[in-house]
Amino acid sequence: MEPILRVSHLSKTFKDKKVIDDISFEVRKDEIMAILGPNGAGKSTTIRNIMGIMVPDEGSVSFLNDRNIPRHKIGYLPEERGLYKNVKVMDILLYLADLKDVPRKKAKSRALDYLRKFDLVGMENVSVEELSKGMGQKVQFIAAILHEPELLILDEPFSGLDPVSQELFKDEIRQLAADGTGILLSSHQMNLVEEICDRLFLIHRGQKVIDGSMDDVKRRYANFKCTIRGKNEIHQLKELPDVQRVDEKDDNTFILYLSKHVHISRWLRQFPEHVDIDEMSVDRISLHEIFIDIATREQHLDQEEGVTYA
Amino acid sequence: MRNLLKVARWEIKRNLKNRSFLIGLFITPAILFGFMLLGNVFDDSDHREDPTVVYVHDKLGIFDHIRKTVDQHQLNWKMKETDIREAEVETKLKSEERTAYIFLDDRALEEGLIPVYTSEEMEPAFMQQIHVLEFPIQTMKMEQLGLSAEEQAAMSQKVHFKESTAAEEEGTAMGGDPLKRALPGGFAGILLLSIVFSGMYIFQSASQEKKDKIAEIILSSVTPGELMQGKILGYFVLGILQAVTILGFAVPMANWKLDIPILEYLLVPEILLYVLIAVLGYLLFSALYVGVGASMADITSTNNFQGMVMMLPFLPFIFISPVIRDPSGLIAQIGTFIPFTSPGVLLLRLSILEEWPWIEIFIALAVLSVSIYIFMKLAGKIFKTGILMYGKNATPKEIWRWIRT
Repeated sequence: MEPILRVSHLSKTFKDKKVIDDISFEVRKDEIMAILGPNGAGKSTTIRNIMGIMVPDEGSVSFLNDRNIPRHKIGYLPEERGLYKNVKVMDILLYLADLKDVPRKKAKSRALDYLRKFDLVGMENVSVEELSKGMGQKVQFIAAILHEPELLILDEPFSGLDPVSQELFKDEIRQLAADGTGILLSSHQMNLVEEICDRLFLIHRGQKVIDGSMDDVKRRYANFKCTIRGKNEIHQLKELPDVQRVDEKDDNTFILYLSKHVHISRWLRQFPEHVDIDEMSVDRISLHEIFIDIATREQHLDQEEGVTYA
Repeated sequence: MRNLLKVARWEIKRNLKNRSFLIGLFITPAILFGFMLLGNVFDDSDHREDPTVVYVHDKLGIFDHIRKTVDQHQLNWKMKETDIREAEVETKLKSEERTAYIFLDDRALEEGLIPVYTSEEMEPAFMQQIHVLEFPIQTMKMEQLGLSAEEQAAMSQKVHFKESTAAEEEGTAMGGDPLKRALPGGFAGILLLSIVFSGMYIFQSASQEKKDKIAEIILSSVTPGELMQGKILGYFVLGILQAVTILGFAVPMANWKLDIPILEYLLVPEILLYVLIAVLGYLLFSALYVGVGASMADITSTNNFQGMVMMLPFLPFIFISPVIRDPSGLIAQIGTFIPFTSPGVLLLRLSILEEWPWIEIFIALAVLSVSIYIFMKLAGKIFKTGILMYGKNATPKEIWRWIRT
């Protein structure tokens, strides 16, 4: 499918530090693409370069093969966001819609629809300073989608939201994608992203670490792990077959990371008797753990997978 | 351009809906004129306490007519009819203050003579005020002479004609009238001050944009240049609004209290130059304010450098007394050519000077225009980066780096 946004070989240096280095990815219509990474990885810088708020040192950004980014076709929710304090909710929504060239009447009716959808009925004439933080976030989200953008860029859309509002946002994002909007979102909350995104791009210290579709990434990286509670010596556990690494969680709990091609039932059958087991569980590494792993000890994954990160 | 206008419209609308702006809009002129009124009230109280008592010995039967005329002119007279004889008046007046006796009898009609006796202590303006009685007596005289209504009208017209020629003569004599230059100059001063003050709102608005963290949302739709220029235009209109509000108070007040027809003084060609200078001054200061506003985390966190820049528009004040002492002197000329003092000093000089130094005016306008161009460019660079640095106060070193890039 034709990508709606194409980012190629983007680099940006602040002072002497390369904040993003040779970043390339695409966002397609109907799909949710996530840029993931720990704080300071370069997610917001990448997004600001796409939005033209910063100018990249190298590389290019194109929207439907056009280097001129049509701002009124893009919806944007920045990471650091707020609203004018002493104005009414409807006034600010209409102003932001007006800046995107939406006719006033249409903007008003769409704003009312969305306010209803986000449980903000009757709030249109309330001053922004009277809104709670969550309500303010909802109004900002509405402002980003009021003009029916073809591409929606959301920088940390879930931060600061309660679980109910998170669900609401997730549903709306899914719905927008289903209706044909290309969505690029950044987050460090893996569990939320895992549920909704189709493809991901993991970035660390300004460089690409992993990218691909969610299923693909899981297949490639989400190996099995086995958690054992019992009185054992770590070196004994390390000697077990197909164990690549052992983490000691506390005195009696160990996490055994297994190699990629391990056959779990066969592996369990061969389990030696001398290992003390009070509790035992086997499951796959979550995206969250991959992420933590990369953020803290990327060398482990590196060794296990034999992948060389750029 | 369209986005620029949208931003300007929004800034205007937002402020007009803002209570504190509206209060400021009306309180500024109200305070200004409140003090003026207060002075007048004290001033008036002296007169009003003691009206002049005017006894009229009326044998012509026009007392009511006269009283109406006096009321119309709002003279502070207390009018009474009397039957006193002329011979008794002098003794009576010795024991009275602020009292007058007027005798209206045949002498008025035949000889045009009206005897007026006043007490020793008398309001100095009384003998002028009494001339308002001329008209009703004249009218009566004309009626007595048997003139028709048209003839009477013709007669009164003649009187008007005479008056207007007298006024014209006054007009030519008014070449030395200080108000002729000072009033338009003062008007431009008010204009400059009110748009510079509203320019300070720009600074507030830019730093508020940072504090509220909305800048990045706005910048996803407009360019930093459009946002900055939209703000400058918006607050210019608000400044004009402030000036118009002040004039809305000032013109009627001046007409009423001082009896100066302000509008006649203002609607002269010179006003165009005054307004041009005021507008240029605004553009220069607004560039400063928008730049400083964008480089600050919030209003309370000004550093010394920013504080100094903020004070620049008030620099002309130190030139006021030397310029008034010698409007063509060296200090006045220096003040004219320094961009930040130029608008204020130029306005002051042009209001005082009889002969305008056109060459200096043109040089000053050129200096102003070039400075505006340079400062707008610099402000644009500072604004572009500064407005997104949420919660951070830029150091002069950082600002210098933004300017160089």
